[in-house]
Parts: sequence; C-alpha cells; structure tokens
Amino acid sequence: MPAPKPPASEKRLIDSQKIIWGKQNLRELPKFRDGLSYLYVEYARIEVQDRSITVLNANGAADVPSAALGVLLLGPGTTVTHAAMKALADSGCSVLWVGEDGTRFYAGGVGESRSSRGLQQQVRLWSDPESHLQVVRRMYGLRFPERLPDHLTLRQIRGREGARVRDIYARASQESGVPWQGRSYKREQWDKADPVNRAISAGNACLHGLAHAAILSGGYSAALGFVHTGKQLSFVYDIADLYKAELVIPLAFESVADLPENIETRVRGKLRQAITSQRLLERMVADLHDLMGTQPEADVYEDDASRPGELWDPDGEITGGINHDGDDS
Amino acid sequence: MMVMILERVPPSLKGDLSRWLVEVTTGVYVGHASALVRDLLWDKCVRYVYRGRCYQLFRTNNEQGFEIRMHGDVGKAIVDFDGLQLMAFKDSRWLAFQQAELEAGSMKAQNDT
Repeated sequence: MPAPKPPASEKRLIDSQKIIWGKQNLRELPKFRDGLSYLYVEYARIEVQDRSITVLNANGAADVPSAALGVLLLGPGTTVTHAAMKALADSGCSVLWVGEDGTRFYAGGVGESRSSRGLQQQVRLWSDPESHLQVVRRMYGLRFPERLPDHLTLRQIRGREGARVRDIYARASQESGVPWQGRSYKREQWDKADPVNRAISAGNACLHGLAHAAILSGGYSAALGFVHTGKQLSFVYDIADLYKAELVIPLAFESVADLPENIETRVRGKLRQAITSQRLLERMVADLHDLMGTQPEADVYEDDASRPGELWDPDGEITGGINHDGDDS
Repeated sequence: MMVMILERVPPSLKGDLSRWLVEVTTGVYVGHASALVRDLLWDKCVRYVYRGRCYQLFRTNNEQGFEIRMHGDVGKAIVDFDGLQLMAFKDSRWLAFQQAELEAGSMKAQNDT
C-alpha cells in the first residue's frame, strides 16, 4: 500500500523548511565586503543550539550572526563543538585559533568560495617571474598615494617603503605624545613588551585574520605570496601589509595615549570603527581582484557546492562527473 | 530609523510614545527622530517604565549599522565584543553551562590537592 500523501498544507510546510533549512545556499550569505568584520572570543564555549551558533561565557549565552561574520577569532580558553564548526563552515565564516596576545594563528577554515578559478589565476601570476614582479610593483604602488615612477628598481622601492613606515611611526608618536623606541617584542615574553608594541601586535593580528578571511572568500591560497614568500601565510602578510601601517599604527599610538591599560581590547574596538569608516572589507576584496586581475564573477558552484568540477584537457576543460567510456574510439 | 519595544509598562507611557512613533504591534514602536529626541524618549521610558522593560534600537554609523539599549531586563545583557554588540541571555542553557563549568572546576581542584 502506498504511503498516504501528506495534505497540501503540510507539504508546503515541508517545502519551505527545505528552502530555509536545506543545504546552505551560498547566495543567502552576505558577501564578505557587506558583512561584519571580526569577532574575538576568549574563555567561552561555542556550540549549536536550535541551529544558532552560541557563545557561552560568564556573561550569558550570546548568539553569533555567523552568516554575516567574516572571521571568528578564537582566543585561549575556548571550546568549539563539532556541530558548531560545521555550521560555521556552512555559513562561510572563517575560523582562526589565535594565542592570548592574538598574534599567532594556529589553524584556519574555509571561506565561501567553492571555485578554484581565483587560485588558478594566482598560480599563473605567481609562477611567471615577469607577472610576479608586476604584482609586487602593484602591491607597493597601493601603499603610496603618489604614483611610483616606473624606473625604480625593486630595491629602491623597498627603500622608499622603509622610509614611509618610519615616517608613519614618527608622525603617530609626535601626534599622540607617546614616545617610540622602535618596533620590538619578545615572542616568548608577551607581557614584557611596551604598551605601544602590544597594541600594534593586537591590531595586526585582527588585520591578519581579516586578510586571511578575504583571501579564502576570494578562493585564493594563503601560501602563495608575492612580496613575502616561503611561509604558509605569505599571501596573508602581503595583503595585510597594504593597509597595516596607515591603519594600525596611528590607532595603536592613540589608544596608548588614552590609557595604557587593557590595551588589546581598546585597539580592537578602535580598529573596528576604522574598518567601517574606511570601508576596509570592500577595499580589500577590490584590491585583491585588482592585483590578481580577476573579475568578481559569480561562483559557478554557488547553487550546488557538491556539483562535480571539470576535467582538464589541452583543448579546454570538459565536463566532469560523467563516464567518458565512449571517448576512446 | 528607530524602534522601541516596551513590555509591562503603564498605558500612559505607551500612549505618550505613540505621539512620536507608530505602534506596529503591541509594545513595538517604530519611527524616525533626531538624536536629541531619541535620547529624550529613552530617558522618559527609563523613568516611567517602573517594573516593566524597555528596549531601544536605532541606526548609527558603526559596523553593525545599529545600536541597542535596554532597561529593566535582568535576564539579558548587552555584551560588547570589541565594538560588536551581541545579546547574552541568562537562560536554562547558560545555567547548564555554568553548572558544568563549576563541576569541572571543582573536579580539577580535587585532582590538584
């Protein structure tokens, strides 16, 4: 006997549940540039309850708008359940584990992109010395408001960059009245560093997290850097360095001038304000596409992330996920 | 744009609020007002809310695009995560979490001694 058909009203309900609670539709997710930048959490438990991602700590149980969030930074004392990680990955939120100082990455997650088009382009630019150099030049070009003359060698450009950063430190120190003894921190003894250095490190950590999330959301690799090279996060340093000096250094000095206590939290707060007012997320995504020479086009796997990809062929890609049994004749 | 939510407040306060704002459904008011008027309305609510609760949400130029204020609700707290406002509920799941933390803490203390 066939199963009785559910009444129409019940069927409609099931259909609507499928739309809301089926596989996460990537189109529903706000694009990285429109979302919230970061959330730093420490001494908390992160779990899923009734499909919401909840941070439980001494203050209460707070639901996190994870679909709108670019990156979740997990500090010390955090516990994450398996279900929470899956839900975070589904909503395209990058998750990074960081140390107490917020300076070290322990691990990363996946972004919204399911297509490898960006990565293929990145590899193409990276592996050809001529185009590699062009990207490096464009990266330095973004840091100088005035156009860099074409005849400068890379060595000369690095010299100018050094002078630019030194000027930014000197100006920030002068404007805030906080003395500057040079960038120094002992990686083993965080508390011994002076407040300005700690402030800069905390701000940089957030910026690294954001750059990492932007890179993942564009479908690029964090390891293939252009200016930086040799480390798994080289491209993260490349992208963060485009904004680091002009954004973080003045904020760090300002925060220390206000009050030297509780410096990390206040720098992060100020940074969030600056990210909003300077539309940093939007700029980051635009600069990334610009540097890589890719168009921000629709992700072809947007509707169905588990759709099979293409097969490579010297004459152009062919359809994957089907049996090519008849092709050998 | 501004939204105000009132729970268990004197009818006169609700009536008064409807002079500035539109009541969408019971206790939910929406409207637009200058920052000054918004603050004055909030002060008025806090003053006359007695044992009830009131909430105010309004557009600001921050990352979230809005700010939340609340008064008279002991079961919730607005938690500031470095400039991001989230609502923290002190509900049953939170109590269970607290309980588990306490037990883990006392177990650790026993092991240490």
